[in-house]
Amino acid sequence: MIKRFTLILLLAGLGAIFAGLMLDYVPDSELNRTADYYAKNTAADLGAANIVTAIIVTYRGLDTLGEVTVLFLTAAIVGLVLARDRHDQSQPDRELPPTGELLATGTRLLLPLILLFGAYVFSHGHLTPGGGFQGGAILASGMLLMLLSHPLRRFGHRTIAIVESIAGLAFVFIGVLGIALAGGFLDNRILPTGTLGELFSAGAIPVIYSFVGLKVGAEFSSMLLNLSETEEL
Amino acid sequence: MVSPIFIIAASLGGAFLLGLLRDPWRRASYTISLLVLAFTTALAGAWVWGLASGAVQAVDILTAGTQPPFAVNLRLGIAEAAMVLLINLTGLLSALYLRDTLFIQGRRAMAVLLIFSMALSGIVMTRDLFNLFVFFELAVISTGGLILLSRDPRALAAGFKYLVASQVVSILMLVGIIFAYHATGSLNLDDMAAASEQLLKGGALAFFLIFIAVVAELKLFPANGWALDIYESAHPAFSALVSAAAGSAALVAVDKLLTIGGPAWMEVASIIGIVSFVGANLFALAQNVDRRLLGYSSVAQIGLIVFVAGQQDILGDSYLFVAGGVLLAHAVGKAGLFWLSGLIGGRELTAWSALQGNPLLIFAFASFLALLIGLPPFPGFYAKWELVHLIAAEGRLLLLSLLLFGALVEAGYLFRWFGYTIKRDRHPEPVAPSLYKHGVIGIAVLAGWSLAYLWGELSPHANLLHAAPMLFALMFLAIEWAPARLKNAVAIAGLLAWFATTYSAYDPLQLIFALIVLAGGAVILLASFQTPGRRLGFYPSAMLMFAGLAMLILAEDSFTFFAAWESLTIGSYFLILRGRQSEPHALSYLVFSLGGAFLILTGFALAAQGNSQFALAGLGELVQPLAPWVFLLLAIGFMTKTAAIGLHIWLPGAHAEAETDVSPMVSGILLKAGLFGLFMLLIHMGRQEFYGLDLTHAMMWIGALSALLGNLMAVFQEDAKRLLAYSSIGQMGYALFGLAMMNHLGWLMALMFVINHYIYKSMLFLSVGGVAKRTGTRAMYQMGGLITLMPLSFIAVLIGIIAMSGVPPLSGFGGRWILYNAIMTSEYRLPMILVFLSGPIAFLYLFRLIHSIFLGQLKDEHRLIKEAPFWLVLPQMIYVVCLLGFALVPGLALRHVDAYISNFLPQGALNWEGLTITSDFGYWSPVSIMLIVGVIFSLVFALLLLVNRKAQKVKQFNIVFSAERPYRPETTHYAWNFYASYRKALGFLEWPLFERFWGAIVDLLHTAADLSRRFYTGNGQVYAIHLLAFVVVVYLLKGGV
Amino acid sequence: MAMIAMATGFVLILIGLFGALSNRNILRMIVAFAVANTGVNLVLVAVGYMDGRTAPILNEAVPVAEATTRIIDPVPQALVLTAIVIGVGVTALMLAYAYKLFKTKGTLDISQYTDLKW
Repeated sequence: MIKRFTLILLLAGLGAIFAGLMLDYVPDSELNRTADYYAKNTAADLGAANIVTAIIVTYRGLDTLGEVTVLFLTAAIVGLVLARDRHDQSQPDRELPPTGELLATGTRLLLPLILLFGAYVFSHGHLTPGGGFQGGAILASGMLLMLLSHPLRRFGHRTIAIVESIAGLAFVFIGVLGIALAGGFLDNRILPTGTLGELFSAGAIPVIYSFVGLKVGAEFSSMLLNLSETEEL
Repeated sequence: MVSPIFIIAASLGGAFLLGLLRDPWRRASYTISLLVLAFTTALAGAWVWGLASGAVQAVDILTAGTQPPFAVNLRLGIAEAAMVLLINLTGLLSALYLRDTLFIQGRRAMAVLLIFSMALSGIVMTRDLFNLFVFFELAVISTGGLILLSRDPRALAAGFKYLVASQVVSILMLVGIIFAYHATGSLNLDDMAAASEQLLKGGALAFFLIFIAVVAELKLFPANGWALDIYESAHPAFSALVSAAAGSAALVAVDKLLTIGGPAWMEVASIIGIVSFVGANLFALAQNVDRRLLGYSSVAQIGLIVFVAGQQDILGDSYLFVAGGVLLAHAVGKAGLFWLSGLIGGRELTAWSALQGNPLLIFAFASFLALLIGLPPFPGFYAKWELVHLIAAEGRLLLLSLLLFGALVEAGYLFRWFGYTIKRDRHPEPVAPSLYKHGVIGIAVLAGWSLAYLWGELSPHANLLHAAPMLFALMFLAIEWAPARLKNAVAIAGLLAWFATTYSAYDPLQLIFALIVLAGGAVILLASFQTPGRRLGFYPSAMLMFAGLAMLILAEDSFTFFAAWESLTIGSYFLILRGRQSEPHALSYLVFSLGGAFLILTGFALAAQGNSQFALAGLGELVQPLAPWVFLLLAIGFMTKTAAIGLHIWLPGAHAEAETDVSPMVSGILLKAGLFGLFMLLIHMGRQEFYGLDLTHAMMWIGALSALLGNLMAVFQEDAKRLLAYSSIGQMGYALFGLAMMNHLGWLMALMFVINHYIYKSMLFLSVGGVAKRTGTRAMYQMGGLITLMPLSFIAVLIGIIAMSGVPPLSGFGGRWILYNAIMTSEYRLPMILVFLSGPIAFLYLFRLIHSIFLGQLKDEHRLIKEAPFWLVLPQMIYVVCLLGFALVPGLALRHVDAYISNFLPQGALNWEGLTITSDFGYWSPVSIMLIVGVIFSLVFALLLLVNRKAQKVKQFNIVFSAERPYRPETTHYAWNFYASYRKALGFLEWPLFERFWGAIVDLLHTAADLSRRFYTGNGQVYAIHLLAFVVVVYLLKGGV
Repeated sequence: MAMIAMATGFVLILIGLFGALSNRNILRMIVAFAVANTGVNLVLVAVGYMDGRTAPILNEAVPVAEATTRIIDPVPQALVLTAIVIGVGVTALMLAYAYKLFKTKGTLDISQYTDLKW
């Protein structure tokens, strides 16, 4: 009880801090210096129509590399945590109910579409509100559907791991190429920036985002797989 | 030079590459991990080298080919490079250390380790606020993974608690970041620092949230329960990484924020840091689990560095020197200790006694402890010196005293641990034999000593590792394998050689002290020839003490003086600790001595007024109101060493329990360090008024009381060595009294005591030690009648007590004669009466010494005892000769000193005509006194021989109990409770008032620590609530920002 | 509009923290933290929002020349993506921990995991 009361009191204090933040907050009427620079120069410099994507992949590419690493790390640790508990599941303890006609058929129908959509989203990240992370998540949702419809099927961790690692290495490699061929680490202008608004534009952004998409898809899939295999059937 | 970005790229590439490998390819995975870490370490090392030598300039690393603040940028200057090197080197060494564990856990764990060190390097290098957040989160998540390397099942819960806390932290940080961005329109740290004013006005709350979140990442007291759990349960190699590498990275982050926050936030950092330093150290007092204790100590040390970062406004140019010194020393020491803990089977502190029999590991242990505490010659020592000076100059005295108090507590519990390790029964589980782990620890020791050398070079003072005495002491580490007798010969030769080379540099006063320390030390060392074998650890410790003493005498500036002071303290601590029962006494000696040393440090710092190079002669130029304070601090510090009453409780145990040849060293020689300090102080500062009180007058009272009570307590001792130890308190009281009289004869008498006390106390300790060795006991009532079996020891004791009691004809009389003359010239009567009184009291215990040990009936079990070993007797005989010689011609030594003292106190000098010494009140002719006493003695002796023929022999127990009823068998012995009647009358004076007082303080600290640490309940939610409370409390204390 | 979103975000943070620190069940704590993270993301986006402007994507509707006056601040949008991904990572990690904790002690009550203390 005391604990809860203290907690409420402390959260009230935190709330006061937040309230202070809000009271001091005056919305900008114009873009600030940084945002203004992006609005003015992104198109000319990087050739990306989606400014957010340009920021994510190039200007703040180091953050994104970190982000991808976060997922890689989580996937590795989840694997590490759960690896030793993964028991042999070829023989389930009990009879499983069938997954159902609807789900099985639906999966067969939807899976290619989902994968295609995912690929579209991550390869058009520089043009549309999409990108590697969104696309990757969509890819992984395909994996989720498969896991739901075929709970006993073993998927190859190996393939996923290879996709994940190669995509990661490729990201780092492209970043390093930036040092050699363009202005610095993660500079996207190692490829021509092309015409604004076209698919093959914005230099290496679509390439990087495609790798990110694959990598994110693989990482989410591997996490899902690991978690699903802990399920006691 | 290769761009530092490759430190990040290589680690990431390596981690992703590990993902490609197959699980069973352990060796390949491990090789890749090591190669990557070796590459990043080498790259960081190359940058450190390049930047330090000036071959390259600090670089800004742009990403995306765009200028900051529009793209993320990194920076690598010398500080960053050093930190990145530290992080990657720790990572590499931990990876080596973790070899077996990583082989079991596989490539995933290795990848996580690579990313962890990459993330920490990123935290150090990045100049972008949000990027900092990303690297922090990477570090958090990889911590979550690496905790699982531990075999301790409790680590899992610790990891979860950590994740809960870091969720709260990251929420605060993100909210802070976005509002700081809104306020400044930039995420770049340099931009924000430029727009600091604007940010702190409009976005102060935002800055507060970021700041507090980063501070929380430092795991500072008291919002750090989860961190302590991690330290306790994680794999020690990972704890080493967390403490050394992650702690350092987060500190760099705090430093970056402080460049934005400016002075207002530096103040906050100072307060948070010092609270953490003191609080965590206090809590550590109650710890009995090694890794948790190390955790508390890490928290404290990191708090200290935050404090230093908060003081950067006054540190100025030396900021990097101070912060770097403390940080690197902490990192190496703490990592080393965590690695060492991995070799130990048990988790209690006493389990470290398994290290016994591994001299190399014990040396490593001692080096790491010295690194943490900041003892010379390690970087923390230089850093502490600068820090304390600058803080004192600024007048931040509260912070200064908290800082020193925390440091004292820390030294206390760390050395207590060392005492357990050395003295407790050896733990049954031996240390793990892994070659890798031992190698890693060896590298850490090497790194620690290299840093010591480096900091010595960087400091504005002389490098302590260039000082010849210090090097000579360290050399004994290298020849530890040699037989003790050989080392002993080298040691004696070294002392004499140093005396010969420095002979011309001494003034008469210094010469007397140098004679006692160097020549005197050589004589005592003769007794050490007695010990066979290799005597591991003895010579480095003893020579460290002698090195300190030798440097002390020649010191001309405060730094050398203090460094020498600490060296002799540490050396003598190790030396005293060697005694069989000396564990608690050595600790109390160390704590008192370091406490005294900190007072001295404060005194010097106040005197120097910010100038860290301060000549001792400058003490004389100080004026009111500063001067009396400096005097007071220095005097109390020195009086700790001379065991003035009230600060004396460490002495009896330390001197009595030390080894046979160590007791005379620490008593006969070491005590003189305090007197030397007092001489130095009084020569330079003279009389000082402190709120109307003449401080020398107070000293005189302390001296008189020490003389009286020290002697009185000696009277009631049953243990012969304790008796001698207590008598030292009295003797030092005389010397203090003489000094404090501030007249010519007083000083002369003090010097007389310096010489006399050395001779007879060394001699008595040696002969009593010899007797104790032969009889196997130190209790006097268990001895008796040894006169015929140990005649030489008897002669030594007889001469010794005649000299000491101050009766004619020996030199003690000379001392008294000068004393009484001095008293006549001084205007203080009451303390004088006390000193008079203590004379006969001294006679009581001295009589007992000869009576109970050598006279009376011989015990049955002692019938076959032989004389003490040759090497113990030899120095005693040398002393007998010296005493007789000094008694005959005291002028040989004293007339030069007398002339020297006239430089300061011209009034009342003695007249040294021929063999007669004349004062205003009379004359003293040592030779004629000797003759007269000799004649009387021969007459009485002849008479006794004549009379003795008629004497009737009685049986041993044929005695009258004189109205006492014996309760225990030993009480039937006449020598037990010898002065029962005096005890009844005066016993109240030996009531252990001061023991109780200091004991109560220590108990209070322990109880407080033990009760308050219960606030770490172990519940992860409670820890997170602590964190929130920390945020809210800091917010409120900062006045709502 | 932005203020409402921001207030909602802050309230979500407080609710999430309250839930996470008052519920003893580890799974509930994780869910509550997810709520709090959502609140943070909402605050992030709200700070970058500007009335009457559009998404920072250049196309026929928003030509390059007019971008400065037509689009909202793109930076928070980029940051929020990173924040979301990191949140996902931490949540997954916590879930794995929860599973493992449950395996060791058979309970999800956080107050049972106090072997380490003081």
